Amino acid sequence: MDMTRAAIEAMAPDQSALAAASALLKPAKWPLRARSERLIWGECQGSGANPYRVAADLEDRGSKCTCPSRKFPCKHALALMWMYVEDGAAFQAGDVPDWVNDWTRRRRKGVAPPVAAGEDKSLEAAHQALAESTPDPDAEARRKAAALKRADETHRSVYAATEDLDIWIADQLRTGLAGFLGALGERCRRIAARLVDAKAGALASRIDEMPSRLLALSAEERVDAAIAELGKLVLLARAWRAAPDDPELRREIVNAETREEVLANPKAPRAISLWEVLGERVVTRRDGLVSQATWLMSLGPSARRFAVLLDFFPASAGRRGGAFVAGERFHAEIAFYPARAPLRAVIASREGAVDALDAWPDPPTDPFAHYAEDLLATPWRSETPLLLPKGRICADASGRAWWRSSRGLCAPLREPPPSLALGALIDSAAGVWDGARLALIAARTNWGRLAFDG
Amino acid sequence: MDDLESSLAHIRGAWMAGRSAFQHCPPEWRAAVEGVGAECALAALAGHAGAVLFRPAPAAALEPRRLLPELAPPTLPEPLRPHLRRLMAKQKGGASIERHWIDFVAARGYVLHPADWLPASRADWAPDGYAPWFDWVRGEDKPFPPPTFALDTYEQWSWAMRCAALVALRTRDPGAARAIIAAKASSEVAERRAMLIEILDTGLSDQDVECLEAQADDRSERVQVLARLYLARLGRRVDAEALATELADMLEVRKSEAPGGRASLAIDALKTPAQNARRRDLFKLVSLAGLARALRITEEEIVETAPVGAPDGVEAFVQMVAATGSDRACRMLLDQMLDDGAFPLAHARSLGPRLDAEQRRALQPRILMRDAEMFETTLTLMGRVLGEAALPALLASPGYAALTNAVEAARGEDETQRRPADALLETMLSRIAFLADAPAAAALLARLTAAGLPAADPRLDPLRFNAALTTEATP
Repeated sequence: MDMTRAAIEAMAPDQSALAAASALLKPAKWPLRARSERLIWGECQGSGANPYRVAADLEDRGSKCTCPSRKFPCKHALALMWMYVEDGAAFQAGDVPDWVNDWTRRRRKGVAPPVAAGEDKSLEAAHQALAESTPDPDAEARRKAAALKRADETHRSVYAATEDLDIWIADQLRTGLAGFLGALGERCRRIAARLVDAKAGALASRIDEMPSRLLALSAEERVDAAIAELGKLVLLARAWRAAPDDPELRREIVNAETREEVLANPKAPRAISLWEVLGERVVTRRDGLVSQATWLMSLGPSARRFAVLLDFFPASAGRRGGAFVAGERFHAEIAFYPARAPLRAVIASREGAVDALDAWPDPPTDPFAHYAEDLLATPWRSETPLLLPKGRICADASGRAWWRSSRGLCAPLREPPPSLALGALIDSAAGVWDGARLALIAARTNWGRLAFDG
Repeated sequence: MDDLESSLAHIRGAWMAGRSAFQHCPPEWRAAVEGVGAECALAALAGHAGAVLFRPAPAAALEPRRLLPELAPPTLPEPLRPHLRRLMAKQKGGASIERHWIDFVAARGYVLHPADWLPASRADWAPDGYAPWFDWVRGEDKPFPPPTFALDTYEQWSWAMRCAALVALRTRDPGAARAIIAAKASSEVAERRAMLIEILDTGLSDQDVECLEAQADDRSERVQVLARLYLARLGRRVDAEALATELADMLEVRKSEAPGGRASLAIDALKTPAQNARRRDLFKLVSLAGLARALRITEEEIVETAPVGAPDGVEAFVQMVAATGSDRACRMLLDQMLDDGAFPLAHARSLGPRLDAEQRRALQPRILMRDAEMFETTLTLMGRVLGEAALPALLASPGYAALTNAVEAARGEDETQRRPADALLETMLSRIAFLADAPAAAALLARLTAAGLPAADPRLDPLRFNAALTTEATP
């Protein structure tokens, strides 16, 4: 079966899927488009940090996408096929990557679902709908004015909320941290709800996660960790009140910029390098969102050693396949969210995976010095990625695992390591340090690359 | 630093109790925290100082464990590791499949990478090549054992390494292995004494009787049972005569009336379930030699034809032969079962552990020809002799005919036939992949795709892995 425009129309679950697909026909949204015989695949940059991986079989019109959409085919798959029909030459010929091979192996042969009876769908209509949705200048001016008004209201509301937070923190200290730690969940939930109402969503999420962070520590460590976290909140709130337009502070208090805003921002730092995917940390948050953090490390002489691609999606959408494979290396330009010590990033452009043999960069002798520097620049930061020097993983008398450098530096691990880690010689490791626990992500050992993210 | 640490401790104490901590503020900080919100400002500075200046420290010096030792066989080639990880992950529910993959890789002369699989501390079933890892996982590894394993170096070897060395010694020099077991068994705990006695299973002979008789009175019941089973195999066990007679009364030996006719054991269903249950229990309590005496025939006469009768009774009888019969009796019974086309070969599975590797290899084509249980019986009887079946033997088997039928049914339009065929197909493809040698696996892939299975069908993954993993060395 040849892929045609009519076939795509027939496959689309509804007209709105076609309309959504038409909005994705811009090459800039596709860092990667490739083909090999009957297969086409690509990466489509969605709203999150990780691009969706999309593949389609031109012969039987089957498709696969890593997005959580329940529509099938989803808008990404439709867009990929649509672009191929319109300009197949724009798809680079290449070797079929493993993730496409995995998909083709898993799938059963079949044909794409037939067109729903009685429903008229058309690509032209989808294009037209997109064109019609472009607002006129007056409407745009009205929209901007309304946005400014909303921003002003949000500012006033958040300002009051941060003052409210100061009072709340003082109350916790005044009434005793013993009581605070005893009713941690309840107290944090209440202030977080007030912050959500006041539109300080990011700050609310941070406080909502505080109980799980503190309760993961031993009882004797919780007091110091609670003081540190409350202190960071004080600093963050005061810093934002002093500079409410600072993008980093706004991100920490209200919400983050969109990917498009970051890419369009000329002040967003960029780094072109060979990057290695260190690993992924997936956490289900109390607010029902799943946070998917993909950690990247630059192997080249980049000013920014680490980058984290953050994605959020509803837990109800189920487990989402990762867009990257741990250990994968690729050349890419990364755009960082503007910050004093930039870390969160999006991929501006990337090339295919490479079999580069470059070694990891030399780790600093004292990795924790880097953490102290980061805290001086951004004292409200919760955690910092570190590149750790040669060492071992050891267990103490209680069975808790520690990373110990060959020079004697120690840090307790957040999670029990895989058994092999206790018997491996670690040449260097990458992890995230939060002041109390080290979450290892990956290590290079005498047994090769070792993943700690399960 | 001590002053700051002391101040922070006082600040912490004050806030724990709900008092103002301002009076404990270090003098250098006072200017920064004075004014409105002083306690909050102090929290910011105290928290920051604590995070930067102090890190959790272990209560005692940390001692790393010894490095995981490298194993003698080569590690599975790097390109095949993700493939095997996928296969093992897919079968996570069934530990037995994991075992087959471990054994299969070992049969091809490789070991797994420890990031893909490390034995659990009680996974005693894994091949002996993993012994150093067992000891490491259990924390029993010993550094620098002497190069030669002998009675006087026994203690210097770690447990799993000792067992592996004893198994090898038993094959090479049964007497030397027996002498070490006889001398050292009493120094081990009951579970390990039993494991040492199990090593005598290889090459069991009359020379082992003295050692086994000593163990037959061991304080551990498990050791006693094992020693007595081995003595029974050597014809040295005296059963309670009453039990053997009771069992004999529940059986019948039918002699063919033709001249030189052979005896055949009839295990017909008894009148009540209670009687059948009692007979099954008696098969566990009586040895083959004891039963032969009670029936007034020889051991060989009992097994010169395959038994007939009630399936549960036949199964219990074969288990009794497998446990207490001599090597010759076991082999004779298996031969009869293979020759008797009407005998359900699944009953023979308990005889598998009584076969050595060479016997398994020699019998494989015959077993395949008689295996009507989708290769399951073959897989059981082959034990660790995996990945060696040649293409002609596989193609001639009823299992392969069933496989091709399942491929046909799975391609069909009829949903009621397709679904069960799909499930069977996955099972059969997995089993045949454990049995086939690499060229056979490659040929099967070609045949099955020609028969209509898509080349990318994930159910062909086991065969693909087999075909890609060539033999590194003879294990």
